[in-house]
Amino acid sequence: MIEALSFDFVQHALLAGILVSFTAGIIGSLIVVNRMVFLAGGIAHTSYGGIGLAVYFGLPIFLGASLFAVAAAILIAFLTMKNRHRIDTFIGLIWAVGMAIGVIFVDLTPGYNVDLMSYLFGSILAVNTQDLYFMGALLAVILFVVVFGYRNILAVSYDSEYAALRGVNVKFFYTLILILSALTVVVAIKVVGLILVIAMLTIPVYIAEKLSSSLFSMMFLSGAIATLFTLAGLWFSYTYNLTSGASIILVSAASLGLFLLLYQRGKTC
Amino acid sequence: MNVIEIENVTFAYDRQVVLENVSLKVEEKDFLAIIGPNGGGKSTLLKLILGINPLQQGSIRVLGKTPSKSLSSIGYVPQNTNVNTDFPIKVIEVVLMGHVGGKRPLFGYGKEETACAMGALSQVGMEAFAQSKIGALSGGQRQRVMIARALCAHPKILILDEPTSSIDITGQREIYELLRVLNQSITVIVVSHDISVILEYANKAAHINKQLSFHDISDKSHTFHMHGNQGHFCEIELLQMLGSDGCGTCNTPASPSELSGSETAAGAVNANWREEK
Repeated sequence: MIEALSFDFVQHALLAGILVSFTAGIIGSLIVVNRMVFLAGGIAHTSYGGIGLAVYFGLPIFLGASLFAVAAAILIAFLTMKNRHRIDTFIGLIWAVGMAIGVIFVDLTPGYNVDLMSYLFGSILAVNTQDLYFMGALLAVILFVVVFGYRNILAVSYDSEYAALRGVNVKFFYTLILILSALTVVVAIKVVGLILVIAMLTIPVYIAEKLSSSLFSMMFLSGAIATLFTLAGLWFSYTYNLTSGASIILVSAASLGLFLLLYQRGKTC
Repeated sequence: MNVIEIENVTFAYDRQVVLENVSLKVEEKDFLAIIGPNGGGKSTLLKLILGINPLQQGSIRVLGKTPSKSLSSIGYVPQNTNVNTDFPIKVIEVVLMGHVGGKRPLFGYGKEETACAMGALSQVGMEAFAQSKIGALSGGQRQRVMIARALCAHPKILILDEPTSSIDITGQREIYELLRVLNQSITVIVVSHDISVILEYANKAAHINKQLSFHDISDKSHTFHMHGNQGHFCEIELLQMLGSDGCGTCNTPASPSELSGSETAAGAVNANWREEK
C-alpha cells in the first residue's frame, strides 16, 4: 500500500478524490436541501451527450461534457420556472435524449472506440494534471460562491417565496445552483462515473444533515464525510482489485446503514 | 389614515375569475380578519397586496405606494410553516432572513443585524431558542419564529396567512394574544378560516368569496352572542351574519363615511368588551 503512494497516478487519484469529495459534499448539500436530486441525476446522464460530442469533434472531454451539462442545467432551470407541473417528465426526457446523443456520436466517430464503461463508472486512476487543475478551480469557484452568497443561497433554499419578497433574485440563485451542480457532476464522473454520481451527491449529505444545525456546517461536514468514503473506497479497490467508483459507493452505502443503525439507537436511548 | 387601499380589483387565473370587483380599506392599527371558504380568493388577495401576483384590474396602494415598492413596510408570515422542517437551519438564521436594506457585511451577518433579530425573537418570547434547529421546535414555536422574521424588518403592517392552521388550541390562543400585543403598534391582517377564535381579536372582518363583504365588528357586544363553549362563537351563526349566505345587502363594502362615523364609538365599546373578558 505504502509503495503504491509513490506512483504518480495514485497520487493524482487521491488528490482528485479529495477535491471531488469536497465539491460533491458542498453542492450535494444544496441539491438535497433544494430537493433537486432528480434534476442532478438528469444532468449527470445528459452530460454523456457532451462526452459523445467531444469525442466526435476531437475536443477535450471535460470541456465538451461541461458545456453540454451546463446547457442542460440552464434548460432545466428554465423549464422548472416555466412549467412546474410536468417537470419530472421533461427531466426524464432530457436524461434519455442526452445519453442517446452521446451514444450516437460515439458510433459516428470513425476508428475510435471510446471506453463507455470508464464514463459510466468512473476512471479515477486515469486522472491527469489537467483534470486536477479543473477540479481545483471548480472547488475554488464553489467556495467563493457559497461563502459570499451564503445568506442568499440559504434564503432561496429554505423559503424561496419569502426570499423573493425580500428582494433576493431567486431565479438567478436557482440557476446558479443548477449550473454548479452540472459542473460538479462533470468532475465527479471522473471519480465515480455518471451513473454512480447521485450516490456521491446524496449519501454523505444525508448523514451530515442529521448531524448539522446549519447549512454551512452541513456543507463542510458532507465534504469531510465524502472524502473519508472516497479514500476508504479507493483502499478497498486497490486491496481487492475492484472497480474504484463502485467500491466508493458501496463503502458509502454500508456506512450509511451503520450510521442509521447507531443513530436510531442513540435516539431511542 | 388608510394603510392599504384596494379599489375595484378583479383577478383571474386562466379566465377563471377568483376576485371580482373587490374594494377594501385598511386603517392604521386595524386588526383585520380576512375569512371565507377555501378557494374563495383569500390567498389571492394577499398575494396581490404583497405584489407576488401581478395586478390585472383595479388599483392597490400600500402606504400610498404600489405593492412592489412598499415591500419593506409589510411583514409577511406565510402559510405552512411546517414544511421543510428537516432543513438544517438555526432559529436565528431564519429570523435574519427577514432583514432588509441597510449595510450588509461581505459575508456572514453583521452585529447590528443579529442584535435586531434577537430583538424580534424576544418580542415573540423565543430568544432562548435562537441557536436551536428549526425542526426541533413545536408548530406554535415555529410560528412565533416566523412572526419574528416578519418583525425583523420593522414593518408597519403584519400579514399572516392561516397562522394557526396546524397548531393546537392553546398554541392558537398564545399566537393571537401575541398578535393583540403587536397590534398596539402595527396593523395586523390575518387570513383564516378558523373564524371562531380570530373574530374575538379582530376589529374588522372581510368575508371573501369572489366578492368581498366588509364588516366593522369592533362592537362585539351587539354583533355577536357569546356562547358558553369556552368563549367560542357559534360559527354557523357567524357565517350567516358575515354574509356567506342570505345576506345579499352587505355584499358591497361599507362606505367610508359609515366607517369613520362608527369608529370612535366602536373603539370605546371594544375596550369595554376586552375588560369584561
